[in-house]
Amino acid sequence: MPLFLLKLFTPAYFLLFQEATDGRMALVLDKAKNPDLSKFLIIGALLFIIGVAGVLTRRNIIVIFMSIELILNAANLNFIAMSRYLQETGNMNAVAGQIFAVFVIVVAAAEAAIGLGIVIALYRNKETILVDEIDILKW
Amino acid sequence: MILSGWEAVFFWVFSIAAIFAGLLTVMARNTIHSALFLISSLVSVAALFILLGAEFLAGVQILVYVGGVMVLFLFVIMLVNVGEEERGSEEIFNRPRQVATSVIFCALLVGGLIYAINVGYEGLQKRDAGTISKTGAERKSGEQQLATSATGTSKITKGTEWVGNGLYRFGSLPFEVASVLLLVAIIGSVMLARTLKQEAAVDDVSPDVLQQEAIDDPELAKIQAAE
Repeated sequence: MPLFLLKLFTPAYFLLFQEATDGRMALVLDKAKNPDLSKFLIIGALLFIIGVAGVLTRRNIIVIFMSIELILNAANLNFIAMSRYLQETGNMNAVAGQIFAVFVIVVAAAEAAIGLGIVIALYRNKETILVDEIDILKW
Repeated sequence: MILSGWEAVFFWVFSIAAIFAGLLTVMARNTIHSALFLISSLVSVAALFILLGAEFLAGVQILVYVGGVMVLFLFVIMLVNVGEEERGSEEIFNRPRQVATSVIFCALLVGGLIYAINVGYEGLQKRDAGTISKTGAERKSGEQQLATSATGTSKITKGTEWVGNGLYRFGSLPFEVASVLLLVAIIGSVMLARTLKQEAAVDDVSPDVLQQEAIDDPELAKIQAAE
């Protein structure tokens, strides 16, 4: 089971536990010097997780909104990385990924406007922006 | 799509900056600091967009997010009172048990996603290696024919032209729907953020009636006094 968990973090697993460490080391270094699509996807995944952690742990509703922006931004990064990759395979429709990202940005802007309007109305009525104190719907 | 040389250096610089700024966004005690860290994260991601050849999206990201959405955030932070949190008398995270559960969940998610990306990318490479090498030479010759920029060091790419073409040819209906969505958002946020006095003015309630209601309803009186 711990070995399986280590395998999840493949680079660390290769570095620590594989035979012929220098060969693996050179491979990992080479991959770090020439980042490819998978690196962009991993960065997108990490940004997404940071956003999810923010939504789950923070109490301030404004910071929760900011975390949602982080999540949407990670999705955009994935869209554009995939679009670039597909362009290289000669697929000319791959620009659709960038168009999708434009719409994600539009929806994010609309969501921020509405959400912050709700925050202001809420603050005017309840004098708080901490999500665990806003429990009118709970009984 | 393999970056090399300076592109790789910039990739690592901006991706590490994006992740650290994102982490600090979530962890900062002061909400204004959170917003500023989010701005730097968004700018770093815009730089990553440029590395991916999406210059238009990078510009849109900076104009819309940093110029528009984040200014809105900063205004709202200044309108609401977050003093207790900043002074440290108020806890910024949920209860420890909730935080621990979320962090474990997120760690599992990180592991799963990185594993899935590594495995999936290998499969993707196996499938596409032939096509990429076949179209590689074609693409190189196509890039040679592009116009040179004024500095003479780089070519003017056609990415933005393709995005514009695609947006207006195949995405014109969603484009119009998006503009309606933005209109609805404007009207909605104006409606939501009205004060009681403005609401009364719109609903044609005379000030006397409002005053009368305030006598019956102490909550309303408190709000009016605050205004």
